[in-house]
Amino acid sequence: MALDQVEAGTWRTRARQMATPEFVTPAILLTPSILLLMLVIAYPMVQGFYFSFTNGSLMKAGRLVGIDNYVKLLTSPAFYHSLQFSLVFAFFNVVGCYLLGLGLALLMQKDMPGRAVFRVLLLLPWIVPSLVSIVAWRWMVADDKALFNQIVAVFGGSPIYFLSDSSWAITLVIIIKIWRSFPFMMLSLLAALQSIDRSLYEAAAIDSATKWQSFCNVTVPQIKNISIVLGLLMTVWSVNDFDTPWLLTQGGPANATENLIVLAYRYTFARNDVGMGAATSFVTLFILMVLVFFLLRLQRRN
Amino acid sequence: MDLIAFYARVTRRSALKLAVAAGVLSMTVVPAAAQQVTLNFWDMIWGDKAYPAAAQALVDRYNQENPNVKVEYRSVPWSNWYETYVTAIASGSAPDMSTGGGFQAVQFYDQGAILPVDDVVKQIGNSEFEASTLDAMKYDDHYVGLPWALNVKVVLYRKDILEAAGIKPPTTLEELRQAAKATTGNGKFGIVASGDPSGAHWITHMAIANGGGLFNKDGTAGLTSERTKEGLQFLSDLVKDGSVNPASAGYTNNDALGAFFRGEAAFVLAGATASSQAGDAKSKIGILPPLKGPHGDVQGLYFVNNIMAYKQTQHPQETMAFMKWWSDNALSLWTDGHVNNLPARQSLAKNPYFTNDPDISFVMDNYMTGARTLSQTKGGTFPVLNTIDGDGFLLSLAQAIWQGQPLEAPLDTAQSHLEEVLGN
Repeated sequence: MALDQVEAGTWRTRARQMATPEFVTPAILLTPSILLLMLVIAYPMVQGFYFSFTNGSLMKAGRLVGIDNYVKLLTSPAFYHSLQFSLVFAFFNVVGCYLLGLGLALLMQKDMPGRAVFRVLLLLPWIVPSLVSIVAWRWMVADDKALFNQIVAVFGGSPIYFLSDSSWAITLVIIIKIWRSFPFMMLSLLAALQSIDRSLYEAAAIDSATKWQSFCNVTVPQIKNISIVLGLLMTVWSVNDFDTPWLLTQGGPANATENLIVLAYRYTFARNDVGMGAATSFVTLFILMVLVFFLLRLQRRN
Repeated sequence: MDLIAFYARVTRRSALKLAVAAGVLSMTVVPAAAQQVTLNFWDMIWGDKAYPAAAQALVDRYNQENPNVKVEYRSVPWSNWYETYVTAIASGSAPDMSTGGGFQAVQFYDQGAILPVDDVVKQIGNSEFEASTLDAMKYDDHYVGLPWALNVKVVLYRKDILEAAGIKPPTTLEELRQAAKATTGNGKFGIVASGDPSGAHWITHMAIANGGGLFNKDGTAGLTSERTKEGLQFLSDLVKDGSVNPASAGYTNNDALGAFFRGEAAFVLAGATASSQAGDAKSKIGILPPLKGPHGDVQGLYFVNNIMAYKQTQHPQETMAFMKWWSDNALSLWTDGHVNNLPARQSLAKNPYFTNDPDISFVMDNYMTGARTLSQTKGGTFPVLNTIDGDGFLLSLAQAIWQGQPLEAPLDTAQSHLEEVLGN
């Protein structure tokens, strides 16, 4: 009884605190934004989650089938194949575009002639619409008569059929994704590098640190947090990437470059199975949440 | 003075009554033209770049001849066409009528989105169509679409390459294999294919050409049936011979046709009128007769493209009337819009525009008897055909074959997938 009274008192105190203008005014101002966000994010997500338990099509609402779609998905070889490719694709893209972005950011930081022009040129892969750039890539590697193989032929090499060979297709999709992603990485890391206090480098120089030592002991710790955030963003964007594999290979050849998003698209639109498409999307979301959880934990530990 | 007295007697209430009465009266005497019915017609691009303008001109003609109806024309590109229609149906904004893919009507009908067109078929008359063409539209004892254009798959060959190699155009599958082998070399290949849906048509075409199909007679998955497997093994053997361009798995249909038109391959599987896109190379391209299989079968793949009416229409009568008119007057779509299919209407096919074209005449005379749809060997049509056509598993199988993978594993995967799609 006494405990109840204490709790009731606490609630009353909290309610009194919340009734102040300091709380009410921001709450009123934020309400429209929260409602809008709920409308455009929460509602479709809840509806999509519901669809993942149904067997409907895009034209006809289905009936509830429990966890059948999830069971079917998690026992399907196509899912594990797509998962494997998604993870390989994300890993190499994150590592590749981070290393390239960091290298170029370190280069762009230096005072050199034409730096502004280079900065603009290096941003081009990020600026050009994906449809344009990927179609251009297709032309450059499509067959033995394409630009790349013409160059290979000059050096006496045999043609490489990038879009017809599974291993080469996977490699090419990753390379193009890195090419499309590194400018963002470079730009973000350049901003982080420029914000490092110069006196830290001066102190390292006084301690006779080599360039490599000051990079390892000054630069890396200073950009660690932004690097984790960038890694996290790039992981999410890589796993969710539809443009690169779809426009380049449509998930082929022989499903070699079919990631989870392409698989979800196929279920929904090619097989007209909204339930399976939604289930694939939610499993992808779950995988991403796990990845994000670990990356955030890593960031907090730092 | 009387007028002043009248105005003095008019109250606000009586003025309102007068206005309402005038409104009702005006609504009843509105001329018919003002009560025009509007129909939305979505049409795929069936020809070259001139097609949308030719189709719009035909719609304009209909609108002129039928002042009570206004047809609004929308040209729909083939990229993402399926999404365009399903999202329109799902959101309640489907057109009144559309043309579409071969199995679109039957799948949409099964989802409750399509009206049967039995009356239109009856008005036109069954004799206007090949029996198999009409059969390809029949589902649930109804015609779910009106056949209007036939996409007959043929093997095109380069006359110049065969002449240079001293080879006569093949008439059997075995002769095709030998010819493909003989014409491979010096940067050229016997055959060029693609890794997109057009390339996957090789799978169905070869299965049918060898007396098989995707299905068994009882409707179960038949990809691993003896005849189908043998037909697909033929494709694997072509790859093993080195006769297929190694870029095929990554090629689109346009890439493959481009390579063929440039003289980089001797044979390609394409639509019957594909050579019309070849420009100057057209005269160097010929059509092989239907190839005889090792068991004596002379068959090939074709698609029956159709016109369909949507249940969401508010004007079913006007829609059906327009559908019949469109089918009756479609000639200009070929003459001006260069449709890349053959006409489904027999009377239209007898027009000199078609009979004077040696290629079209050749296909009409030689291919139609053995032309079979995707539903072979089960026959008829059924909703899951649209899923099979768009799913991508046949495409993956074709890509695996063009890559030179041994047939067994990808074929088993495709068979399992087909069984899953069919639910057996």
